[in-house]
Amino acid sequence: MSRLAIAMDIGTSGLRAQALDLSSRDIISTVITTRHPLPGANVIDHIHFALEIGLETANRIIIQAVNRIILELHINTEKVVRLAVCGNPIQLSLFQGIEIRDLAFAGKRKLESLGVVSPEREAVITATRNIPGLNLPAGCDVIIPPSVCHEIGADSLAMIIQTGMLEKDETSLATDYGTNAEMALLHQGRVFTGSTAAGPALEGQQISCGMLAVPGAVSDLNSDISCQRLIVLDSEMIPAEGPLVDMSDGSVIDAGSGVRPIGITGTGTLAIVLQAMESGLILLPCIRTMDSRLHLTGDIFFTEDDLMNAGKAIGSVRAGHITLCREAGIGLDDIRTAYMSGASGTYVDPVKAQKLGMVPPRVKTVFQVGNTSLSMARDLVFDLSKLDLMSSLADKLREHHCLFAASDTFKKVFILELSYWTEGMPISMYRKFLKKYGFPDLPPPGATPEIVHTVKRDIDDLGRMGLTIIPDIGGKVRATMEGCTACMNCVEECPENAITIIQEADSAAVTLDQSLCSGVACRRCERVCPHKCFDLSRFFCITSEELATPWE
Amino acid sequence: MKLSSSMAYGSSAEMMFGFARKPVETKQGLTIGGGYVIPEIVPHPRPGSEKTIKTLLREFERANFDALERCVMVGHPHLVVENEHVYQMTANPGWGGEIAAQSVRQTLEFKDKYGLKSAYRSTIADIRKPDMVNLRDSEPTSKVLESFNECAKYSDIISIESLGGKEISDYSLIRNDITGLLFAQAVLGGRDMEWLWSQIVKIAKKHDCIAGGDTDCAQANTAMFMAGGFLSKDIPHTLAALSRAISAGRTLVAYECGATGPGKDCAYENPVIKAITGVPISAEGKTSACAHPDLCGNVMGAVCDLWSNEAVEYNNMFGGSTSAVFAEMLGYDTAAMNSAISLGYQKEYQACLVNSDRYRGPHGFMLCPDNAWLIGKAVVDNNESMYTRARAAADKCGKLMLGDPLLRMTAFEKESLLSYMKEMQSLPDKEEDFIDLCLSKYGKVKGFKPASYGL
Amino acid sequence: MKHSPNSSRIFTRYDINIEVARPKIRDISEDKLLQKVADCVVKGDEEAIESAVKEALKTRSPLKVTNEGLIAGMKEVSRLWDEGIYFLPQVILSSDTMIAGIDLCEDKMGKAVKKKPKVVTHTAEGDIHDIGQVIVNALLNAAGFDVINLGADVPVDEVVEACKLHNPVMLTGTALMTTTMTAFPKIAEKLKELGLNIPFVCGGGAVSEEYVTSFDLGIWGKEASQAPGMAEDALNGLSWWEMRTKWNG
Repeated sequence: MSRLAIAMDIGTSGLRAQALDLSSRDIISTVITTRHPLPGANVIDHIHFALEIGLETANRIIIQAVNRIILELHINTEKVVRLAVCGNPIQLSLFQGIEIRDLAFAGKRKLESLGVVSPEREAVITATRNIPGLNLPAGCDVIIPPSVCHEIGADSLAMIIQTGMLEKDETSLATDYGTNAEMALLHQGRVFTGSTAAGPALEGQQISCGMLAVPGAVSDLNSDISCQRLIVLDSEMIPAEGPLVDMSDGSVIDAGSGVRPIGITGTGTLAIVLQAMESGLILLPCIRTMDSRLHLTGDIFFTEDDLMNAGKAIGSVRAGHITLCREAGIGLDDIRTAYMSGASGTYVDPVKAQKLGMVPPRVKTVFQVGNTSLSMARDLVFDLSKLDLMSSLADKLREHHCLFAASDTFKKVFILELSYWTEGMPISMYRKFLKKYGFPDLPPPGATPEIVHTVKRDIDDLGRMGLTIIPDIGGKVRATMEGCTACMNCVEECPENAITIIQEADSAAVTLDQSLCSGVACRRCERVCPHKCFDLSRFFCITSEELATPWE
Repeated sequence: MKLSSSMAYGSSAEMMFGFARKPVETKQGLTIGGGYVIPEIVPHPRPGSEKTIKTLLREFERANFDALERCVMVGHPHLVVENEHVYQMTANPGWGGEIAAQSVRQTLEFKDKYGLKSAYRSTIADIRKPDMVNLRDSEPTSKVLESFNECAKYSDIISIESLGGKEISDYSLIRNDITGLLFAQAVLGGRDMEWLWSQIVKIAKKHDCIAGGDTDCAQANTAMFMAGGFLSKDIPHTLAALSRAISAGRTLVAYECGATGPGKDCAYENPVIKAITGVPISAEGKTSACAHPDLCGNVMGAVCDLWSNEAVEYNNMFGGSTSAVFAEMLGYDTAAMNSAISLGYQKEYQACLVNSDRYRGPHGFMLCPDNAWLIGKAVVDNNESMYTRARAAADKCGKLMLGDPLLRMTAFEKESLLSYMKEMQSLPDKEEDFIDLCLSKYGKVKGFKPASYGL
Repeated sequence: MKHSPNSSRIFTRYDINIEVARPKIRDISEDKLLQKVADCVVKGDEEAIESAVKEALKTRSPLKVTNEGLIAGMKEVSRLWDEGIYFLPQVILSSDTMIAGIDLCEDKMGKAVKKKPKVVTHTAEGDIHDIGQVIVNALLNAAGFDVINLGADVPVDEVVEACKLHNPVMLTGTALMTTTMTAFPKIAEKLKELGLNIPFVCGGGAVSEEYVTSFDLGIWGKEASQAPGMAEDALNGLSWWEMRTKWNG
């Protein structure tokens, strides 16, 4: 009887998992979710939720989501003997249900006043029975890799290991282009790490028409004479030629291969910014069209606020790179090789990313390596010794981790970025300030680097049973609010359209989609309620039996 | 068609308001460009009145009557009434014809009753949308031509504001693209006008009507309005000035096809046209503030033969209807000019008009008679093709602006101008090569059809 | 044709005037020594400020050097930034230079220069992301306010104490993380209990307008660049409620 294993990446913007055959080492099936099951759009929202509603509830929601994913892998779970999960410290802690407050507050004074003791977060192999609620055989091993510190976790270790950068003797830089962009600079045997809160723009969020990488998403633009050819992800998530448009008014010149665009991904956002800057439609910080917007087709547009959000994200990555170089005592132009990981890092055109400043200017080679977190989890289930490798690397990384939020270098450079993107400060002045501060220079990009795609898409091999996408990972929960008159104010106020109300005989039933909800930092539904009877926590402090739409 | 190779005037000193080398006489005995300046009133119907021919007839009847009556009331000796077609008047050629017939009847009534000398101009609407239809072969195209036929039966003068090239010039303008403007205005616009005007001139001859002229309103005026006043920063005034210089070679095509003037009022390129052709021109400036703000309100009067208000919607003011009020103002403007002529002070008066605006902005500067003449000279000296003469005109205009230290430019406008000049230098010398370049560069702009221009 | 030698009564080139007025850094003082001090501030010359201030202090009073050199120079920086000629990093540099200069004057005088209305700024307890606050500080300094900078990760009680001590015209709070912004309503509550109805501008990262306007005293700051205008309003006696009505919603 063949033994099976599951590799899982718990990402902030969604979960991905693969079922594997341990003897043949084949990938059987792949499941991804389009959202994270917890309310909110970033890790801080997730952690905030756990703080206010309760760690146990957060843990339970994640475990339920994991169970649903396991179900959708369509394998005989009785045969599963190993589950490896990879992700950042917050996600892994929420999965394990351990202390998270040290991750919630970066300030020491606050932690001391709360009396928080940080857990070690070392590598663990435990049995399913120790993770309550997990629908796998009791004796199945659950492998949880170690973290370096609160900002750098197993996902970053995965990036450093899976790129293979450590095995080469050259100055190289690996970056995971996500909401939190983690980066690692290797120079003369030392690894310098950092993590910057780039914001969700690089994942296509906080952008008017932004979305995650799903079929129909615009992932790139190619300049075609005076117009832009939209590159749209097809049903297999492979980039295909979409319509040819004039961005100044969105007029469509030809329809291309017929894939209809529905939104813009993070990489699409970067391409829009670059192409519009190059064609003069953007003159920072303004969009120079009649309505101060760029148009990809009739209903997909890009605003000056979007430009500002994208600029801040791009800028924080570049500021991180410059900061790490200063820590290592080298120039940006000393970096020979760049590794780009994460969904954005895989789909983005490296040359465009370089022109925008997200890839060091003088690299000779760029590797696009895909989702390293999932491939790390895969390696872990096949080879448990990789866990030791991760642990020893974690120890090594603790020596040279740079906390950007406390770094004077990072702050100064980020202010230069802010000024460049939002005030239109010329790049010449940017460089003048770098010189004045004694920071590494920012030369313009050199010769086009060699591009090596180690994968064709984010997840390279989907397995013989292929890909399943779960669009509705969050539970829909129903609750009755005493005093509710079904005035619908909360339904209208909700920015994510997560609430529905059904008027029943003598009361009203309110339903919330947990994964659509913006989280406890929002609570607009509560504030708008005229009877003050709306209680957001009611949707979470219940057992799974009360789910309005149980998963089939 | 032969491209102009000589100047009608030996120098700008010979150019004067009220005097054209080739005056034009109307049926009622007005001589345009014959030694005096005539007001040209342009009333515009109120929105809603275009719904039926009946309401439209009534609207124009009132508006034109008010203007004619006011001239009598205050003693203005002459008037040209222009009616610019709203869409329906051209789309239903019969409407335009009926209104023209009614208006000419009105002018004759005023002649009979009071001896007021007046003329009527019909300006057909160019309802061919360049990005929608083939300009040479479409339903709107035949309506336009039919409309000319209907109006020429009655009107003294016929004109049009043609749209050829607008799909490319709109595209180029927001991109600050001088190459695109050259292609749109000179190559495309010029070709469309040649095709259109050879037919208009034939129609005019058939009906013994005056083929007035055209204007690059759709392109050069768009640039001018977008450049705006001193508070706008989107499009440099220097680009608008180059676009104007380019437009001269385009608008010239009407006269090369046989149009005789008077040119259209909103063709700010008209001083250049007059310098080359000697035809009488209409112009507008301060008294067209009802339609748009202007940085050349006085200088445009320096060599004009008709003085217009561009367009004013028919409405009531304290002093009467807008049509009456503006006819009165235009009449007084021209009365002052004609007094100067009569006293022999015309040179001095012209100097006043020119000095008002010469250095107010690039547009006023390049349209001063001396500069307009020099730009015209560049046009005729480079007449190998519509492209070469337009590029030469733009280049001359740029050099004149850079060469006069009294014309001050903002750093942005000067930098922009230098980059346009550099870009123009790098363009091919031959029109064929330029067309090849542009077809590959602009071939995919929405709605652009080379067949519209015989390319 | 005659050409008029002077067109000033014929037309005014407002476009050129605006541009000419812009890049020019205006002279601040007729006093050469004070002008030199102001120059250092305008140029953000942190190295030269010390000698310039010391030179001026030999013959001028610390109060005069502060007001007519340092603060006057900063006012010019503020104007240059308002008009889009100066950028943030330059304002920050100038602000640092001015503070260095003021420290020298205070040393000489032996006490704090009583200068300007105060604004207390801080980054929320538990949060160390203080870039937003750094910018707010510089801009408030530039606008002539005395910035009481409490720094980052500041406990609620410490903020309240500082308000009691300094009685500022305005308080600002910055938070990047939504987990830490919960300190803001606590601060507002305690200030109200003490009868200190100080306008409390909260902004940064995940801080939303809805959140800040859900508690008394709170005014949402969308951009750091709004801080000077808000402080100006507070100084002019606008209540937190009037300020919220003006700046939010």
